Amino acid sequence: MAKVKNKRNSGLADKVHNKKKSEINKKKLNPFEVHINREKLKVLGKKSKHDRGLPGVSRAKAIQKRKETLGTEMKLMNKTNAFIDRRIGEKSTQLSAEERMVARFAAERVKQHNKKNIYNLADDEVLTHRGQTLEQIEKFDDPRSDDEEDEDGRKFGGLGDEFVADGHFGGGMLSKTDSKDGAKSHKDLIEQLIAESKKRKAEKQKEKEQTLDLTEKLDSEWKDLQPVVFKKMRTEESAIEKLLSQAEKKNMDYDKMMRELKFEKRGTPSDGLKNDEKQAKEERARLEQLEKERELRMMGEEEQIAVKSKQAKVKHRSAEDLDDNFELDDEHDFMLAYDKDGKPLVPEKVLKDFSVPNAKPKFDDGISDTSDEEDEGNDESDDEVNQDQSQNDNESDASNKSEESNKKSKSKDKNNVKLVSNKNDESAEDDDDESSDDDSTDIKPEVKSKAKEKPKENGKKVEEKKAKKTEEDTILFQNSKEDSSDDDEEGSDEESEEDDEEEEEGSEIDLNNLNDLKESDAESDEEQEPEDVEKIGSFFDVDDGEGDKLKELLTGKTPAQQSSALQNLIKSYDPSLSEKNKDKLTKLFAYMLQYINDLFSDLKEESDVIKAFLVFDRLAPYFYDLSQTNKVSSKKYIAELLKEKYGQYKKRQKRVPDMDTLIFFKLISLLYPTSDFRHPITTPSMIFMTEILTTCRFNDAYSISRGLFVTTLLLEYTILSKRLVPSAINFLRGILYLSANVTVLNPIQVVPPFRLHKDSKILNLEEDCSKMDVEGKMAARDFTLTEINNDFKIRCFSTSMGILKEFFDYFNDIEAQVYLFEPHLKLVGRIDLDLYPAKVANRANQIVKYMRAGLEVKTFTPLTREKKRPKALRLYEPDIQEVFTGSKSAKLSREQAESQRLKTKYKKEMKGALREIRRDKSYIGSVKIRQKIHSDNIRKEKVKQIYKEASVQQGELNKLKRMK
Amino acid sequence: MAAVQPNPNFAKMISAQLRNKANHNNLADILEMFEAETDNYTPLLLTVEVIFTKLLRRGELLEGIVPLKPADNSPEAQYKRWLRECFEAAQTRILECIRRGRMSSRLQALVTACKLMQAEGKHPLEGSSGFYFPSVRLKNIFNVLLDPEISMSAPIARFQEFTEYKDVQQYGLKVLSTIAYRKSPTSVYMQNYLELLDKLLVCEIPTETKIKGKERDDEEKEEKLLCGTEDKAPFPYNPGVCRRYANRCWGFACQWPLCHDSRTHRRALLLLVERLMPLLNRPHLATDMLCDSLDAGGPISMLALQGVLELVRRHNIDYPDMYDRLYAMFEPEMFATRYKRRLMHLADIFLSSTHLPESLVAAFAKRLSRLALVASPEDAVGLLQLVANLLLRHPALKRMICYEDTPAIMSNDPYVMEETCARSSRALGSSLWEVWALRADRAAPLALTAPDLAASFDAELKKRFKTIEMNFVRPQGMTTPSGERVMQYWELMA
Repeated sequence: MAKVKNKRNSGLADKVHNKKKSEINKKKLNPFEVHINREKLKVLGKKSKHDRGLPGVSRAKAIQKRKETLGTEMKLMNKTNAFIDRRIGEKSTQLSAEERMVARFAAERVKQHNKKNIYNLADDEVLTHRGQTLEQIEKFDDPRSDDEEDEDGRKFGGLGDEFVADGHFGGGMLSKTDSKDGAKSHKDLIEQLIAESKKRKAEKQKEKEQTLDLTEKLDSEWKDLQPVVFKKMRTEESAIEKLLSQAEKKNMDYDKMMRELKFEKRGTPSDGLKNDEKQAKEERARLEQLEKERELRMMGEEEQIAVKSKQAKVKHRSAEDLDDNFELDDEHDFMLAYDKDGKPLVPEKVLKDFSVPNAKPKFDDGISDTSDEEDEGNDESDDEVNQDQSQNDNESDASNKSEESNKKSKSKDKNNVKLVSNKNDESAEDDDDESSDDDSTDIKPEVKSKAKEKPKENGKKVEEKKAKKTEEDTILFQNSKEDSSDDDEEGSDEESEEDDEEEEEGSEIDLNNLNDLKESDAESDEEQEPEDVEKIGSFFDVDDGEGDKLKELLTGKTPAQQSSALQNLIKSYDPSLSEKNKDKLTKLFAYMLQYINDLFSDLKEESDVIKAFLVFDRLAPYFYDLSQTNKVSSKKYIAELLKEKYGQYKKRQKRVPDMDTLIFFKLISLLYPTSDFRHPITTPSMIFMTEILTTCRFNDAYSISRGLFVTTLLLEYTILSKRLVPSAINFLRGILYLSANVTVLNPIQVVPPFRLHKDSKILNLEEDCSKMDVEGKMAARDFTLTEINNDFKIRCFSTSMGILKEFFDYFNDIEAQVYLFEPHLKLVGRIDLDLYPAKVANRANQIVKYMRAGLEVKTFTPLTREKKRPKALRLYEPDIQEVFTGSKSAKLSREQAESQRLKTKYKKEMKGALREIRRDKSYIGSVKIRQKIHSDNIRKEKVKQIYKEASVQQGELNKLKRMK
Repeated sequence: MAAVQPNPNFAKMISAQLRNKANHNNLADILEMFEAETDNYTPLLLTVEVIFTKLLRRGELLEGIVPLKPADNSPEAQYKRWLRECFEAAQTRILECIRRGRMSSRLQALVTACKLMQAEGKHPLEGSSGFYFPSVRLKNIFNVLLDPEISMSAPIARFQEFTEYKDVQQYGLKVLSTIAYRKSPTSVYMQNYLELLDKLLVCEIPTETKIKGKERDDEEKEEKLLCGTEDKAPFPYNPGVCRRYANRCWGFACQWPLCHDSRTHRRALLLLVERLMPLLNRPHLATDMLCDSLDAGGPISMLALQGVLELVRRHNIDYPDMYDRLYAMFEPEMFATRYKRRLMHLADIFLSSTHLPESLVAAFAKRLSRLALVASPEDAVGLLQLVANLLLRHPALKRMICYEDTPAIMSNDPYVMEETCARSSRALGSSLWEVWALRADRAAPLALTAPDLAASFDAELKKRFKTIEMNFVRPQGMTTPSGERVMQYWELMA
């Protein structure tokens, strides 16, 4: 029973649904209702909303609306009671019917959740879908059972039409007798009925069983057949499906992108861990950026300004410019051309300036960017390379293993220590380990874990050191001692193995220059001295005397030890550990400057010089680190230092400052960019150096060696900027003059500070040294030389020739090169090259030849002003408005246009409002008149009634009268 | 040691001497002590100075000489006479001290002598009402200063503070003119003489008496007098007299062989050019000397140039090949001389004439810029400024920096540096490539944009920068990541 009911319901719902749909579709216009509005002007392609209207319909609508609004209001006028519709969502038009239902249902549910029903856990509610409960829907009945229903030929229990017609209706006696003679009795009839129904039932049963058998048979057969058929179908499908899926994929892409555009990004994914490649790439990009900035700084302000002014020129406006709707051609025009790939040939920057619509944004969204793909390609190739490398690694490791295998037997801990001792290799080795775990899994994991633990411990120690100095000191002390003792035990075979490894890795990873560092680190770790730690710990504890402490800390050690000690010192005062550490480190910077100063002052022996330079070499990176931590104060310190040194030098201008001044120029070139056009440190130091070269007297080994050092520094300073340093070039000229064979009779022009006929020929080689074996470089011992020997003369000459050539190359494209270097060539001509060692002489000859050749092909183009491009005639171009409104207000200013717009709007609204009011009034009037008519009619009716009754009464009265 | 120890004694002795005549032996002792001392006379000198200044002020040395009266033999008079003797003795001692001992004491001796001279001038030994200047003392001082053996440049320089007094100037010139005459003085003597004359002329002697007339009133108030006192008659300063004496002094000096020694020569020229030229009655007479000096070359000709310029400008002297000589002076050696600034300044004046031929000016421009290539930054700046002036004054030179026609590429520079004649050096066909090259220099363009900051070390350090740029690559050791050169040419660590 329930089933049937449900069915009916569902049909209803569908019907309603369909009806609504059809109603929407049905909206057919009655041609008599349509009124066609006459068009005054026909505009092509214009779509007008108002070309036809339905006056009747719209009027009816309007009236209906008024009835609903004004009418109800009128009805309620002067009434105190109000009728309120509390049905949920009845009045709001925003809710659709379904939503309304949902809301009501929710309200219902809420109502059920009152106190009484708290413990009724949803047994009484029945979820329905189109009137059917879910259980009903989800009853997975045997489909066969439905057969019964489908047989709906007969509705009444399967009785035949004839029988029914006879039996139920029209079974009157009359018809019966008319149609069938000698008919059966009622009893016969009933019997026939029963028999017939029994028979049908049996037939039905039989048929049913047959179909069942058949289906089962078919099923079994199908199961057999299935593998054959299915396969074929699959393949057929796959070909098609492929195409389809491709198409779909495209669609997917499209969809995906569309969705991306449509929806905002919910959240940004945090930066994933960058792999080494990416890091390297970023680093490279950063360096490139910095390099670009550096180059920009290299140019003078003038040039920068020139560049800028080119970019931003004031747009010319003629005095007769009438602001009419013509846009003048842009000042800077360029030909927009594209290459084969469709990329504009103009540089990107320019495009950006001109905002060419086609210009591709540099990094837009990753869709139009082709570079990504390339990168991916690169990545892939890189990956391949990596794989290759890793394979190589494996191979090499395998070979290593073979080596190691015989040593494995020694002990595990040895390996352990080895890894600790060269920490720099760790990462590389870790990688190796991972790639080749398979053959030595038994040892390696342990090793790794230990190796990882160690640095951690160290780090911890550094942190804790602040808090518990003394305790930790001892621990660290022990630690270092252990290390050293371990290493000592292992002896030399260990080292050789290490070396092998390092060599291999060096060749593979191409970090040749790191080797030195590694070695040094290894060394330093071995021999870290215990006292250092204590000193470091209390380095900044006492207010004064840090400088002495630093000296104490560093003196009497090898450069490597000093470096490691300093490293520890800096590490233990890392700015991240404490706020004050930054100040402390800047102080340390000053003390280190002082230390270097002390180190380089009073160098008497060659060994001292070498040692000083070795130490400086080791300490220089720390200067860089420290100056990075606080740029301002380190700059201040260096500036102060320069000032002091300059003051000292000014006292004795003729004397070349000693190494304790010159070394700082080198330091500055390490710390600061020397190529900047103007820089707070490098510019003064360059001025200082040029002054040294112009004012000092160069007449002995002391001054000449230092002068050459300064010249080399100047060369280094200007290597990037290729700046002209007249004094350096002049100094080289002086050196050549000193080594040239000048006689009083045959003088040659010299430039101060070198003087004609005074201390000339002090570098002139008088003996035949062609057999001498002299290396070309100047050496540390030259700084301590007291007398000029042949060796020194030769080296001075060859070095200055080398430097000269480099300076010469700076000015290859400048005409003045001739004036700068011709005197040098003349002087070299005066030098008897035969006396010099063959190597030096050859080199000098080569350089001279090179310079001569360079000067000979030199051409002189008169200086001209930069050619100005002829200006194109100004052409008028149509003023293209992005959004064409066609209104005259386009000419007006913004405010005017706005006010105009508001005025028109106001007018329109006013008009509309007036009309509305008028119509409301008429509606009200009509309603009132209708009411009036209605009430009149009622009154008339009543009057008529009264008259009627009265007349009836009168009539009766008259009747009575007449009857009387 | 001796100088430090007796200091308190001196103070005591001074007070004793001044208080009581009985203690006058102190004075004799002090004078004796000059003998003992060898090096540092300063305390002695100061003592003597104080004593005698006081005595002079008190008038104890004043001797009333009454005519027709026998000399007074009273102890008073005797004491006075003794004091005067002491005074004279002290004077000679002091003058001796100028020559001896350490420099500070020498200077102190000079100052003391002058102070005593001043005191004497203010309180003359003989009573007189008019202005009195002890020119004898001055003469003595001058005699010492004009030592034929020792160079007195330091004391003479110190003496400058006294020559600023008008009376010293006038009397000094007078005295100098009287003692100047000597046949063959030594070069040291000549130098001393020239220096002294130079110092005497430090204060400008007004040349135009007419102009002087108007300003006389206010100037007279400012006049500084060494020996002037308010109650006495004012000192009759006469510029004409001064000039006459100065002329006479120079007249003597002219006869000496000034041009033999280069130092004397330079000094003489400097004196002539700086001080004397406007004062000389007949400057033409110096022409010969100047011309000879001009040919001498080097710094001497640079100095002579100024004199010649003066002659040419003021005295209508026509000098042949003036500009070629000037041209020849621009050599690299000029940077070593002290007078390079002067030369540049003079060249600027010389070349300021707009009537000069273009080729000549062009040659100068070319040469100057060529020199700027080898000059130190500050010299280069001066030279470039000069070139800029030339370019501004002579518009035709514009072609040297921006050639109008389409430039033809030349195989070499048409300008001939070695050519001595400026006009035939064909500089006009050339361009100032040197200036272009200097654009690349660090200091020069900076200096041109802000000449007052002329790229000096201090100015550069003081300049404020918005950012402090650092190298972006951490150095590994002492090799610069961006192009190491020191290690390439120096083997420092082996």
